[in-house]
Amino acid sequence: MITSLRRMVTCHWSARRIGRYLDQDPSAPLAPEEVRRLEEHLAVCEKCTRVTHEQRALSRALATWSQKRLVDEAALARMHEVLDRITAEGDR
Amino acid sequence: MLPTKGSPNVHPTNGNYPGSAESGRARAFKTYVEPELEVLFRVARTLTGSSVDAEDLVQETLIRAFRSLDTFDGQHPRAWLLTILRNTNINMHRRRRPDLVEDIGSVRGARPAFGATRQTSPEESVLDDILSEDLEAAVNSLQDRFRTVLLLVDVDRLTYAEAADALGVPVGTIMSRLSRARARVRGHLRSSATSPGRTS
Repeated sequence: MITSLRRMVTCHWSARRIGRYLDQDPSAPLAPEEVRRLEEHLAVCEKCTRVTHEQRALSRALATWSQKRLVDEAALARMHEVLDRITAEGDR
Repeated sequence: MLPTKGSPNVHPTNGNYPGSAESGRARAFKTYVEPELEVLFRVARTLTGSSVDAEDLVQETLIRAFRSLDTFDGQHPRAWLLTILRNTNINMHRRRRPDLVEDIGSVRGARPAFGATRQTSPEESVLDDILSEDLEAAVNSLQDRFRTVLLLVDVDRLTYAEAADALGVPVGTIMSRLSRARARVRGHLRSSATSPGRTS
């Protein structure tokens, strides 16, 4: 009973950190102690491991959108032209 | 030479430009902005949901940024530009529901790349069989504030701090919305993957 309750609390704690753990975003890094605790939990918790795998799969899927949503070269060229115009006028 | 902190050659706030002040100012501006144009366009497209509106928004952002160059300290140009982009978007009253169909339509029918280059372990989840249509539906089912954060971070590849700048909210809010957005998308996909009669 106590073991499963403790596991549940750790699952809740872990769920709030899995995204940051995978993202490794410089704005919100996990402390080394948090990483260690999370990895220890993932090693024994099937549910949180599944969430981690799902999150990785989702990130990979969305990354393919990033590749497909490339900025149109013509649009980018127009942006550069605008920038050139602004800076040229600023020179006058 | 890039205008970095401590650079004696280009600094917009103290007027210490090489050559004439005006040409130095313009050159500094271009140096700051040019590497960020693509990111600005991507973010503008996510915020407006339209490539055409994104162009207008970036153009207006560049004009406003140039006008306010003297107030910029030369550090973190991306954050500075994203803040101007956000305010410009608000001022242009062009907050629209991001429309994924315009851009994602080009990949309709394509399988996600994951799983294509690596062996899927048996314990990995049903989400490894995500179809792009399901993913698009899952993302489109999110409320605006969740979808926008998901797109900025997971598709436009902004950091949490940059997404916070683009939306004018604290980093904690970004993390919270991102977490909820991802959880909802996963839930949506899981139910799609296990729904009866599904063909993949």
